[in-house]
Amino acid sequence: MVKLRIGYPEDPDYQERLEEFEARIARGEKIEPGDWMPAEYRRQLIRMISQHAHSEWVGMLPEGAWITRAPSIRRKLILLAKVQDEAGHGQYLYHAAETLGITREEMVEALLSGKAKYSNIFNYPTLTWADVGIIGWLVDGMAIKNQTMLAQCSYGPYSRAMVRICAEETFHHKQGKEAVLLYARGSRKQRQMVQDALNRWWWPTLMMAGPHDTDSPHTPLLLRWGIKTKTNDQVRQEFLNEHVPELLDAGLTIPDPNLRYDEKTGNWIHGPIPWDEFWKVINGEGPMNRHRLMARRRAHEEGRWVREALEAYGQRRLAQAAD
Amino acid sequence: MWGTEWPRFEVIKQDTKHGPPQMVGSVHAADPEHALLVARHVFVRRPAAYALFVAPAEAFFHVSQEGLKELRPGRMEGGSEEPYWVCAKRSHRRSMVYGDLVGRFLAQGPEDAIAQALLQAQGVAFWAVPERLLVGTEPTEEVVESWFAPAKEKTYRLQSYYGLITAKGVEDA
Repeated sequence: MVKLRIGYPEDPDYQERLEEFEARIARGEKIEPGDWMPAEYRRQLIRMISQHAHSEWVGMLPEGAWITRAPSIRRKLILLAKVQDEAGHGQYLYHAAETLGITREEMVEALLSGKAKYSNIFNYPTLTWADVGIIGWLVDGMAIKNQTMLAQCSYGPYSRAMVRICAEETFHHKQGKEAVLLYARGSRKQRQMVQDALNRWWWPTLMMAGPHDTDSPHTPLLLRWGIKTKTNDQVRQEFLNEHVPELLDAGLTIPDPNLRYDEKTGNWIHGPIPWDEFWKVINGEGPMNRHRLMARRRAHEEGRWVREALEAYGQRRLAQAAD
Repeated sequence: MWGTEWPRFEVIKQDTKHGPPQMVGSVHAADPEHALLVARHVFVRRPAAYALFVAPAEAFFHVSQEGLKELRPGRMEGGSEEPYWVCAKRSHRRSMVYGDLVGRFLAQGPEDAIAQALLQAQGVAFWAVPERLLVGTEPTEEVVESWFAPAKEKTYRLQSYYGLITAKGVEDA
């Protein structure tokens, strides 16, 4: 079979098609699966979308651990629905990536073998029930900022998955906020618990937006092709401006002694982010890295019999239909 | 190593009895019945639904905006026809759906079906699938109720479910 090399700069008509492609993006058109696209556009999208899908799937673990220990039946139902949503979001995203010519199997294999990355944030443990609230409010809050930006993405399937995800993610955000606000006004122990959760999740949440623009090599190209429509620092700033005043209103302390409000720009300015920790966790040295991958591998192994049984059933039905 | 993946099925969802069926995404499943069950979990966890349809992904003929320029439907005199469903993506604006069903067309092939659909609807991408390959939920009251009512009852469905929206408003709780 001849390997398709469409979209590579060595193609004779690459320059002409690239101009057409960029003009389409400039007009606000979406690129759809059958359309011409530069190989690098395809590669970046597969990288981003699959990483995003893996994050949804691994993201089920830290919160899933609390389903059996939720403090009330209402909270349990909410958390169950939320974790189920994460699975669904993974499905939407894997599907979007599949339209680019990669298979589900290849993506899952890359995750399970440790080759593919997922969001760093899920390599931290959930120590108390208050963590579930903080994750909903802050982690999902940052995710929404990023995802609303990506809903404008130039690639149709990714953009559509994001619109769908954002609609559901707002539920996660609100339930987290509600839970945190209740605890922030609750007993001394509840206040301590939620403050402790905030202390532990604050910096990892800010890191979720990714490295500073000056350290983010992919960003200029991603912006040019409309894959991203805002930079990491812009997304982080939006998050801060929305969440800092609300956290302070709730009577919580933000663990950043350098945090200040800039009157001139109307922005909340954060202190230095501990990037050393970020890189350490990305490179597999976070508190939960090994545990998360192990849990996903185990889930995959333990589900094997279900996949085999369904396949056998499907094949038998096909054989029966052929008789 | 582990086994090969299940086939992929495209999912078409109809929100209400009189609403247009719309392409919403795809699922992997062992057979169409399984695909319908998975589609329910993935696409109807909360929103309303009246019916779901699935067909193998490879049964869909897809033309994007660029491909439309090169669409060459050929019709043969006396050639055999069968019904196709044609869906169209109407514009580039933000939307959760891929394509809305334009209609059913008796055609000699998917290109022919799309060419007929183009006379009725504008769009920037089209999909055509033979009707015989579609499997759907039954439109009886009993089936609709048992398949789709649970999503309506789900806790944590509406934004207003949460009373407390601002930190200042928490005293009212």
